[in-house]
Amino acid sequence: MIVEDQITELTAQVAALKGSSGVTNTMFAETFYYLTIPLMMIIHAGFLAYEMGASRMKNVLSSGVKNILAFAFMIPTFYFFGWWVYWGFPTGIPGAAGPAGISGVEYANSIAKGWGESAQYMGPNISDQASGVFFGAFALFAATTASIMSGAVIERIQTVGFVILAVVLGSFAWVVAAAWGWHADGWLVTQWGLHDFGAAGLVHAVAGFFALGVLINLGPRIGKYNADGTANHIAGHNMPMTVVGLMLIIVGFFGFLMACVIVPGESWSWFADKPATIYGTPITLSALSFNILMAVAGGIIGAWIITKDPFWMMSGALAGIISTASGLDIYFPGLAFIIAFSAGILVAPAAKWLESRGIDDAVGAVTVHGTIGLYGVIMLGVFATGYPALQGEGVATISLVGQIIAAVVFFLLGFVPGYACSFILKMLGMLRVPEGAEIAGMDTVKVPAQGYPEGIPASAAPAE
Amino acid sequence: MGFPYEEANWAVVDGAMFMGWGGSAPGFYTLIAAVICVGVLVVGHRSEAKKAKRFD
Repeated sequence: MIVEDQITELTAQVAALKGSSGVTNTMFAETFYYLTIPLMMIIHAGFLAYEMGASRMKNVLSSGVKNILAFAFMIPTFYFFGWWVYWGFPTGIPGAAGPAGISGVEYANSIAKGWGESAQYMGPNISDQASGVFFGAFALFAATTASIMSGAVIERIQTVGFVILAVVLGSFAWVVAAAWGWHADGWLVTQWGLHDFGAAGLVHAVAGFFALGVLINLGPRIGKYNADGTANHIAGHNMPMTVVGLMLIIVGFFGFLMACVIVPGESWSWFADKPATIYGTPITLSALSFNILMAVAGGIIGAWIITKDPFWMMSGALAGIISTASGLDIYFPGLAFIIAFSAGILVAPAAKWLESRGIDDAVGAVTVHGTIGLYGVIMLGVFATGYPALQGEGVATISLVGQIIAAVVFFLLGFVPGYACSFILKMLGMLRVPEGAEIAGMDTVKVPAQGYPEGIPASAAPAE
Repeated sequence: MGFPYEEANWAVVDGAMFMGWGGSAPGFYTLIAAVICVGVLVVGHRSEAKKAKRFD
């Protein structure tokens, strides 16, 4: 009888411990993703500083307004339909359910609509500590795409036209790319073995080439090109602000990449005991730490040797991360450094080449995010051929062909909607500000405030 | 290079899982990365010294 009592007591204690560790794990998981959200907000602080610094004084505040407004519209539109698109269409159109059982229009209708029964997963719910933080992380990915495009089009775009483009990019175009290539049921993954862990293609390349499509219709800033087609450099008003902004973007990317990890031990986790990528393949935060840091360093060093320019050095750091983002989970740090170094070397000449083709990309976004994003997707195909793209037996493996096919898809998913939507806006007279307004300065035309009411005077004499 | 295990299945992975594990590739990459660092410093110094000389 005594033994039986002891067994009963022990069983109760084990159950209590299990319950307690379950609560701890759930709180850890929720907190993990919650903290990625403010970290990713730092990306936006960075883009804001970067873009305002790259603007001339007459446009500095309007560039800021545009950037802030894109963020503000991205969140509700991603809530209204972007989140639903992500879960609805991984297998393609018409949105059939996939093998992992977490996709398809029916599934999306049950978890990602802000009305009806599904609304229980789209608002405060004591029994759901995951949906809100996942939504938040994805909404911030969406906002990142809009910010990437935002810098490219400064100093001549209309605010509302820009916001419409940002919504199409952030709450639709990249979301389709994510559904197809960043989901265990995504057809690019299941059929072609795509691996794009850190979204080099499906965030950066899609946003970069969306920007290219817009820039073709938007045209260059007045004074950018001479009659013979040669380009002039239009300097921003505050290079230090731009460089610090770029550094902030890199800080935020630690949060972005952290949010790409699926924590263990929850009912929705891939594993009980180890973290996974969004594809269900194993990963560690240590892998990210090794490879992100080596990539940042490689990118800076590559850009320095070519340009000696702090703007391009920090853009090289971004290019370093983006060029290795697809395989940050499986690269060896020395290899990540080498690939990032090559990206740092490529980035400024590639941007110059684009400029020579008549594309006025004020911050090099098409090159840093678009070209280097695709470079990163393809590089992974060169080095990681044979890796299983998913967990389980008989799954597709990473291949160069699969990565190239995905790169083409990402290019099209960015460029086509960017070009088509900006063309329509141009026809409607909603794309570019009138010439007189551009010459006067966008702040004078649009913003009832002054960036530097006292100008930027020389420093006061130091005290004796 | 590819997957460092014989069977293309994540279930068999219980340790290192980066490209080139189990061969000479990691050492080779580390060496190349170190050479790049030194080479860049040498080239960078030469270029900077050349520019600075113009102001001598």
